Amino acid sequence: MSFVDIAHLTKRFGGHTAVNEVSFQVPQGSTLALLGPSGCGKTTILRCLAGLETPDGGRIEIGGKTVFDRASATDLMPEKRELGIVFQSYAVWPHMTVAENVAFPLKVRGVGAKERLAKASAMLETVGLKGFENRSATLVSGGQQQRIALARALVHEPRLVLFDEALSNLDAALREHMRLELRLLQERLGFTAIYVTHDQAEAFGLADTVVLMNQGRIETAGPARAVFARPATGFVARFFGLNVLEARMIGPVAGTDQVEVALNEQFTLRGIAGDGLDMTKGKPVLACVRKESVRAGTSPLPGSLPGTIEAVSFQGVAEEYIVAVHGISLRAIQPAAGFRRGDAVHVGMTPEDWIVLP
Amino acid sequence: METSRQGRWLQVVLPASGVAVGVLLITGPFLATVLRSIAVWDGEAVRLSLDNFIRLLGDPRFATAALNTLIAGGCTTVLAMTLGFTLAWLVARTDMPGRSWFETGNLIPFFLSPYVGALSWIYLLAPHGGLLPWVARTYLGIKLDWLNIYSIPGVIWVLTLFYTPYVYLFVIGPLRQMDAAFEDAARVHGASFGYTMRHITLPLVLPALLSAALIVFVTSAGLFDVPLALGSPRGIRFMPTEIFSLVQYPSDFGRAAAFGMVVLTLTVLLTMLQRRFIANRRFDTITGKGYRPRLIHLRRGARIAALTLEAFYVGGAVVLPTMALLMVAFSKLWMGHFMWKSATTGNFEYVLTKYDLTRTAIGNSLFLAVTGATLGVGLAVLQAYYLTRGNPRRRGLVDALLSLPLGIPGIILGLGFLIIGLRTPLYSTLTIILIAYIARFFPFATRTVTAMFLAINPELEQSARASGASWLQTMRLVVLPLLKPSLVAAWLMLFVIFIRELGATILLYAQGTETISVAMVILSERSSGYVAALAVVQLVMLLLAFATFRLTRTSIAQG
Repeated sequence: MSFVDIAHLTKRFGGHTAVNEVSFQVPQGSTLALLGPSGCGKTTILRCLAGLETPDGGRIEIGGKTVFDRASATDLMPEKRELGIVFQSYAVWPHMTVAENVAFPLKVRGVGAKERLAKASAMLETVGLKGFENRSATLVSGGQQQRIALARALVHEPRLVLFDEALSNLDAALREHMRLELRLLQERLGFTAIYVTHDQAEAFGLADTVVLMNQGRIETAGPARAVFARPATGFVARFFGLNVLEARMIGPVAGTDQVEVALNEQFTLRGIAGDGLDMTKGKPVLACVRKESVRAGTSPLPGSLPGTIEAVSFQGVAEEYIVAVHGISLRAIQPAAGFRRGDAVHVGMTPEDWIVLP
Repeated sequence: METSRQGRWLQVVLPASGVAVGVLLITGPFLATVLRSIAVWDGEAVRLSLDNFIRLLGDPRFATAALNTLIAGGCTTVLAMTLGFTLAWLVARTDMPGRSWFETGNLIPFFLSPYVGALSWIYLLAPHGGLLPWVARTYLGIKLDWLNIYSIPGVIWVLTLFYTPYVYLFVIGPLRQMDAAFEDAARVHGASFGYTMRHITLPLVLPALLSAALIVFVTSAGLFDVPLALGSPRGIRFMPTEIFSLVQYPSDFGRAAAFGMVVLTLTVLLTMLQRRFIANRRFDTITGKGYRPRLIHLRRGARIAALTLEAFYVGGAVVLPTMALLMVAFSKLWMGHFMWKSATTGNFEYVLTKYDLTRTAIGNSLFLAVTGATLGVGLAVLQAYYLTRGNPRRRGLVDALLSLPLGIPGIILGLGFLIIGLRTPLYSTLTIILIAYIARFFPFATRTVTAMFLAINPELEQSARASGASWLQTMRLVVLPLLKPSLVAAWLMLFVIFIRELGATILLYAQGTETISVAMVILSERSSGYVAALAVVQLVMLLLAFATFRLTRTSIAQG
C-alpha cells in the first residue's frame, strides 16, 4: 500500500524543465531517498510535495488524499498537507526559544499552551535536547539546531516527514551519528520519510528505496542494495564512482550471461551484460568496474594482466592508485600496499566484477 | 629610514585628523548651544542659570509646538512604516507587474525636496484654488473643499510621502535576503499565509523596521521644510518653526538654545537607545545558507490592490506634485488650474536671467553642493579608514560619536553654528553654511564609504605594501579605485541633500548667500510662478543626480 504516490510530475522554471514526468511510490512507514547531483530536480520534487512549488503537470497523493492534481486543478496549500519538514539551513526561528520553535506546529493547530509545552518537551527529550526548552534558538550549535528542526518536524506526529539535505551542514562524525539515530527514531515513530541528498552514503544509510535523478528524470530506482550492486546506466555507474570505460562489443559468451568487449586492440575482457544491451559486434558500450574490484599485486594470479602504477594517493587505511593496463588507466582502491609511481604490477579482475552497459 | 617614518606618520595622522574634524564639527555647535542655553546676561555680567529652560517650559506655545511635533512625527512614523514595509514587500517578494519600475519609483521621493513637495501639495490641495478640488468639482461634481493641506494632517501626509522611502530602504534588504526556509517551515508545519506573515516574517524584519522607525521619527519631527510651508501660514506651531521664529526679530537666542537642548537631549537619547537595543540584534541570523524566497503569485484582486497602492504612492509623492509644479511654473497667474491661454515661459526667464536673487541663489547652491560634497566625501574616506583599519579599541565610541548628527535636526545644528558665528567674520558667509552642511551630513557619506571599506579585504592593501608601495601610493592606486563606487554614491547623496537643504540654511543665510531653497521661501510671499519655476530648476538638478546614481549603480552591479 503506497502512502505517497507521485505520477507524471513535471515542473518547469522558465524554459528549463526541472522535473520531467517523474513517477514513484513510497510505501507507508518506509523511507525513500532522492539522490542525485545538484540541479537534478530532487529538491524541486520535495518542494512540490510540500506545496512550496506549484507543479506544471502530474498528480501527487499523500495518504490517499490528492494534494495536487493538474487535471482537476487541485492544489492544497502547504499548511493543509499535514507534513513535517527539515531544511538544510534548519530554519530554526531566531526570535523564538527552543520550546517555542518546537511547539509551533501545535500552536497553529490550536493545542493549549500546557499540552503543547509538554509535547514539545517530550519531543526535545526524544532528540536528546532535554532541558533546552528556554534557550534562545540562536545560541545553540549547528547540530543542536538540526535536532530542534527535527523535533519541530515530528512534534505534531505527521505521517510524512521531508528532509531537504538535512544532514549536509553537519560535520562528518555528527552526520554519521544522526544517520543512525534518525533510522531508529523512524522505526520507533513509524512515519514515512523522504530524504533529498547528494551524498550516496547518506542515501544508502537512511533509505529503503533510492531514486537516482539526472536532469529532471529518474535514472534508476529500487532497493538501496540493488541500485548500488547493479548500476543500471553509465550515469549511475559514474555517480557511484565506478571506472567507466568506453569499449566495443565483441559478442556474447556462449552459455553465460557475460559478453566480451574490447577496450582497445590489446585489451579485451569479459563482463556481465547489463539490461537492454545491444550485443551486435562493434557496437559502442561502456565497461564498468568498481575501484575496489581492481586489485594490483606483486605476483601474477590466474587471469591477471601486467600493469604500471601511474599515480598514488595515500588515504590512510586505503590507498588509491591509477594503474595503466594496455594503455588504459584504471582507478583502484585497496589496503595500502606501498606501491610507487612506475612500479610494475599485476592487475587482477574477474568477469563477475565487470558490468557492460549500453 | 626617514621616509618610512614619514609614511607611518601620515598613515596615523591623516585618518585621525579626519575623525578630529568630525568631532569638532559636532561638539562645536553642541557646546555653543549648551552654553547659550544656560548663560544669562545681566547687563554686562554673564551668569549661569536655568532661567531659559524655566521660561521655555512655562510657555504654553512650547507645549503646543512640542505636542504638534510629537503627533506629526508619531503619525508619520506609523504611516511610513506601514507604507514602506508594504511597498518593499510587494517589490521584493511578489510578482507584481512593473516591479523593476516601482523599485526605482518608490525611491524617487528620497531624492526630492520636502519643501517643494509641500509647496506642490499646496497647489494641489489649497482650500481655495487647489488643483484637485477643482478637478473633482469640474469633472466629477464632488466637493473636496473640506480637504485642507494647511493642517496637522496635511503636514503628516507630506511627511509620510517623503519618509516612506527610508523604511522601504531599511526593510527591502532583509526581505530579499531572508532565508526563505523560515517562512516555508512555518507553512509546512501548518501556519497560514497571514499567520506566517505576523509570526515569522514581521518579527524577523522587526529590528530593521524599528531602526527605520526611530530614524523616521527623529528626522521627520525635526524637519523644518514642511511645517514652514503648511503650518506657519495658519499659525500652527511646530518645534522647528518655533525655533526659527525665536531667532527672528525680536530674537530670543537663550530660549531658542534651551529649546534646542531639549530636542538634542531627546534625539541623542533615542539614538543611543537604538544603538543599544536594536542595532545590536544580529541581522545575519536571518540570512545566510538558505535559499532565496520565491516570488509570491498575486491573484487578480491582490494585483489590482497592489498596483493601486503603488499608483497612490508614486502618484502622490512624485507624479501629481511634479505635474502641479510644472503647471504653476508655466502659468502667468495660477488660478488653481492650468489654462493654455495664459501659458508662459516668462517665470523661467525671470528666475534664470533677470532676477538677481534667484541667479545668485542658483550659483550659491551649486557651489555649496559641489564643494560640500567633495569635502564631505574626503572627510568620509579618512573617517572610514579610521573606523575600519585604525585602532580597534576606540572604534565603537568614535563610530557612535560620528553618527550623532544623523538624528540632529538641521535647524538645531544651524542654531549652534549661528551662535558660534554671530560675532566672528564667518557670520553671513557661504563658508559657515558650507561648514554647517558638512557637519550635519558627513555621517551619511562616512556610512556609505565605511560599508564599502568593510567589503575590501585588507590583504589587498597588505599585498600592495608588500610589493613596495608606500601608504599613500596604496591609498591612491589600490584603495581609492576600489572605493570608487561608494565615493560616487556618497558624493551624489551629499550633492542632493545640499541642493535642497533648508533647515540649517534658513538660520545662516544673509543677503548674497541665499540658496535655491531660501530663495523659494523668500519668493513664496510674492509669486507662486517664480517659486515654481525655481523649484523646477532645483527638481531638474535633483533628478539628474538621481539618474546618475541609478546609472552608476546599475553599471556597478553589472560589472
